[in-house]
Amino acid sequence: MFAKTRTNAESASAMKMESIWRRVLGGGQAPIWIATVVLFAVSPLVAPGSLKASALLSMLPFAAVLAIAAVGQMLVIQQRGLDLSVPGMMAFGAGLVTGLSQWYGWPVWASIAGAIILPAIAGLISGIIVTRFGVMPLVVTLGMNAILLGTVFALSNGTPAGAPQEIADFTKGSVGIVPNALIIAVVVIVVGGFIAQRSIVGRKLTAVGVSERAASAVGFRVTLYQTMAYALAGAAFGIAAILYAGYVTTPPLFYGDKYLLPTITAVVLGGTALTGGRAALISTGVAALFLTQLGQLLRAVGWQESFQLIAQAVVLLIVILARAIVPMVSSSIKARREATESQTVRA
Amino acid sequence: MAKTTKSRTAPARVNEPISIEPDIKVAPGTMLLKLTGINKSFPGVKALKDVSLEVVAGEVHALIGENGAGKSTLMAVASGALVAEEGTIEIGGETLTPGSPREARRLGLAIVRQDPALLPDLTVAENMAIGAGLTSKGGLKRAPEWAQAHLNPWQMGIDSRARVSDLSVEQRFVVEIAKALALKPRILVLDEPTEHLNKEEVQRLFRIVRTITGGSAAVVYISHRIPEVKEISDRITVLRDGAVRGTFKASEVSESQIIELVIGRALDTVFPPKGKSIQSGADDKLVVSNLSGRGFHDISFSVKPGEVIGIAGVQGNGQAEVIRALAGVEAATGSVTISGKKLRLGSNSAAARAGAVYVPSDRHGEGVFMPLTVGENIVMKTLRAVSTLGIVRDSWVNKVAAAQIDRQSIKTPSTRTPISSLSGGNQQKVVLARTLLSEPEVLLAEEPTQGVDAGARVDIYQIVRGAADNGAAVVILSSDGVELEGLCDRVFIMSRGTIIAELEGKKVTEAEITRAELTSTTERKRNDELRSRSTRFRNWMRGDSSPAAVLGIVVLLIAGLVGATNGAYFSPFSLNSILFTASMFILIGAAQHVVVLGSGFDLSVGPLLSFLVVIASFFVIDGGNIFIGIGLMIVAALAVGFVNGYLTTKFNLNPVVVTLAIALALQGTLFTMRTVPGGIITPAVTDLIFAKIGFFPVITIVAIVIALLLEWGLRRSRFGVELRAVGSRIEAAERQGIKVKKVQLISYVVTAFLVMPTAVILMSQIGIGDGRPGLSFTLTSVTVVVLAGASIFGGRGSFIGIIAAGILVAQILSVPTFLGLSGAWGYWLPGFITVGAAILYAQLRRLRRK
Repeated sequence: MFAKTRTNAESASAMKMESIWRRVLGGGQAPIWIATVVLFAVSPLVAPGSLKASALLSMLPFAAVLAIAAVGQMLVIQQRGLDLSVPGMMAFGAGLVTGLSQWYGWPVWASIAGAIILPAIAGLISGIIVTRFGVMPLVVTLGMNAILLGTVFALSNGTPAGAPQEIADFTKGSVGIVPNALIIAVVVIVVGGFIAQRSIVGRKLTAVGVSERAASAVGFRVTLYQTMAYALAGAAFGIAAILYAGYVTTPPLFYGDKYLLPTITAVVLGGTALTGGRAALISTGVAALFLTQLGQLLRAVGWQESFQLIAQAVVLLIVILARAIVPMVSSSIKARREATESQTVRA
Repeated sequence: MAKTTKSRTAPARVNEPISIEPDIKVAPGTMLLKLTGINKSFPGVKALKDVSLEVVAGEVHALIGENGAGKSTLMAVASGALVAEEGTIEIGGETLTPGSPREARRLGLAIVRQDPALLPDLTVAENMAIGAGLTSKGGLKRAPEWAQAHLNPWQMGIDSRARVSDLSVEQRFVVEIAKALALKPRILVLDEPTEHLNKEEVQRLFRIVRTITGGSAAVVYISHRIPEVKEISDRITVLRDGAVRGTFKASEVSESQIIELVIGRALDTVFPPKGKSIQSGADDKLVVSNLSGRGFHDISFSVKPGEVIGIAGVQGNGQAEVIRALAGVEAATGSVTISGKKLRLGSNSAAARAGAVYVPSDRHGEGVFMPLTVGENIVMKTLRAVSTLGIVRDSWVNKVAAAQIDRQSIKTPSTRTPISSLSGGNQQKVVLARTLLSEPEVLLAEEPTQGVDAGARVDIYQIVRGAADNGAAVVILSSDGVELEGLCDRVFIMSRGTIIAELEGKKVTEAEITRAELTSTTERKRNDELRSRSTRFRNWMRGDSSPAAVLGIVVLLIAGLVGATNGAYFSPFSLNSILFTASMFILIGAAQHVVVLGSGFDLSVGPLLSFLVVIASFFVIDGGNIFIGIGLMIVAALAVGFVNGYLTTKFNLNPVVVTLAIALALQGTLFTMRTVPGGIITPAVTDLIFAKIGFFPVITIVAIVIALLLEWGLRRSRFGVELRAVGSRIEAAERQGIKVKKVQLISYVVTAFLVMPTAVILMSQIGIGDGRPGLSFTLTSVTVVVLAGASIFGGRGSFIGIIAAGILVAQILSVPTFLGLSGAWGYWLPGFITVGAAILYAQLRRLRRK
């Protein structure tokens, strides 16, 4: 009897310890906040000056672009898809916002609207093909990517255009010391987060992502919500592209390629499971900040672009491996403890 | 019945009788299967309690009991599919290592399950060959003939070369039986074998059962149908609530004695008073007429407000499908009216709007939203009531949820607790609370108390009756006779897809329900239209190779059209260049196809290709060591394939994400190695690659030969069949004893290895170490695979199709040059064909399934 109580007390404290490290490594949103704080803390040690205002101000707009694009990717991943059309979407958005005004003479507001609405329509088409025709998201978005790149090529005739002056001024501008691009990103994430967490639409999107079958049994229009996720993702990619175009003024035609993997990494780092379900919008934004600062830091210590690709791939692999291994290990520890416990009881 | 097809599909000489008797001869009465003291529990349920069973040679031993009595669990333990906590299993005198289906099979135990473990994308013969372990040493070549010989006695018109997915349910079941018999089992376990068979086929089955039990074998016969059991069996063992209630000689017990033993339970639960609020004068709330759908037909009934209707029947007779059709989750024809308004069938949201609320039986999969909280689950159906202007108020959610938790006595620490941490009974109460909050007009509940403890059961009965008292029409599906007796005002009994009896008033008793269920002898209605009307052309069209021919025609059409506009198209030079490009597309498509066949995906083929080209540019140059270069390329390809495969299979990671990460890591590495193009590939190699016969590149012939060899391996080698098995239905492949992870791992390695020859061609074409041209090959490989008609979900497709698709893609990509189109078409064409072909094939497959 005495022996048994002692084991219980021990195992209770062990369990508590374990649940802490499992929470830190195995999933959830806490790890990315910690990692980001740590990264910024060590930044000055690795590269002196990397926390200077000028360095931060040049990094933040890119973090904003990635954060908004990652929100789009997250919407699709929440529905257990994966959007491989990010490069095409980003190129399309930038091509529209620059090309529509430069070559087709659209007013600035119209080219901004076009750069949001047309990618959203492309996303809608992908969504309809996925949900109505039952084609794998991967194949659809891969094909859509090529179609969009072709469209960008046709739109620009192979020559990148410059962003309208108003947009360039706005994105490079700031309110006080806060860059406008960052404000847009925060607005998108806060509004998006509010819709995702608090609105009926957001709840239903979550429900469909968690379990298509349960949502269907409750009577939700499953395909409608899934399709909507792809369309909203398209709009997010469009907004990100406008900011990017404004900030770099004349974006290369196919700059979008370098955003594919980081969007996925940011979503995974942010704590949204690749198997769908609850979306973690705010931490996805934090993850975007983390990734951009990491890139900045590596650049500061002299890593070239190609090394950065390797670093991103390694970060992503480590995160998904940790997410897979930690639950495995912790459940085997639990099983072993239960086995020893039952032995103690028998003894 | 199907004599027309038989004569054509089966060569005459295989009509000779084939032996299905075991090789080891024993005297009748010899112990063949001995189960001693088996205990097995599932979370929350004790499924088997100290069960012992002895089966001897020469007997048909029936195992009977209600749903959930433990019959199938017991046989799963005996066949090694499940591991019991305690007890021993002896087959033919040898003790079975628990949980080893292969060993059980080797010792002579064959099992035919209700749900056949067949691989839908493989042929009947391949399925039977895998089942019998005949996949090596030319076994696959002889398999069709051998399988046909086993199928012919059934006269079901099954062609052993047909794909299993094209067979009807009953044909599949016969394949499953024939597969078991082909093992020449010493003990044959038949689990509810007559559910899918008509009278004539049942008699044929009985003749076969008698033949094999005339010799050295025994049959364990699991069934609900007592008349059939009486007819066929020698001894009967009755199971109830996981324990043996006795073993009897079939000739010494009567039908009614058996029924008594099967039920043997008094009404011991408290039920709410029945039908106090049925408004007999009121209009019917729910009217169903002539409802038909998959698994049921011609269902008509009506329910008054306040009435609770039960649907009973042996599991799998269409009851669940009827409920699901009423809820709009499954398609149906006929008419359903709720409160006088006609319902649009097949739409879950239309049903929900009309006030029909569905409580599914699969609580984990369909009932609750597992990662969400108790509160979120409770309000999920009535979000509007807890929000203003589309914004959910958390305080209202908590208030409403807390009230329900209190009212339905749900045991949970708080409204914010994840529902996954609640017990089954409390989860079910959450589902019911959600249901009641929406004030249903029609409540459709499927097995509402399954896996629920006794206390929660009583609460659930109160909740269900309460809904009726509030004016709802309630339809309950249950396999528990006691529950139906206690709860329902009327009960319909279903058998083989239709209502065969209606019990009302005093006749709603468990005994009556069970009697009606067990003595039913209805035959399943056959839709004879659906039987295989196979013609040679039809079979070929359904085969994996038909896309190849279609693509071939498309190639010729495009060639004609483009050639008519630009005569230079048919010049030897342009034909040569198209075919040369095609060789790369065939090989890279074949590489992607290997991994896709096993339900994988590899986004790293393009970057790997570039990586290999860059490696080559350091060694395969004038003055470099070509052999070291080629060796390094092979090692690199194999290593990448292994890493891809190891990460995805060992840790169950998403293949797309893994291969994407690897792809970018490879890109990073190769651009570090060659920031700018450099390293001229030696002409010694390129000249070899550019060799041609007439205008035809030799390398294209090589690529076609490689694809043909792969096709041969896919059909004839053990790995090929296992790969398709894994891609076809992973859990069935596992049940057949295939090492799924190993097969998938190898498929990634093979894919990466096949990138190697493509790299040799590409480096000759570009002639210099440049990483960029290879990157686009990932999309090309997917385009080729999709065009070839391979199911992107794995399991089917042919390398012949890959050859045709490779040539077509090379041709299409050359079109812009010949027609003088803009560079945008270089992107548009592959994009549109990929998406277009994927949609087309998805539609074709959907049509085929109908």
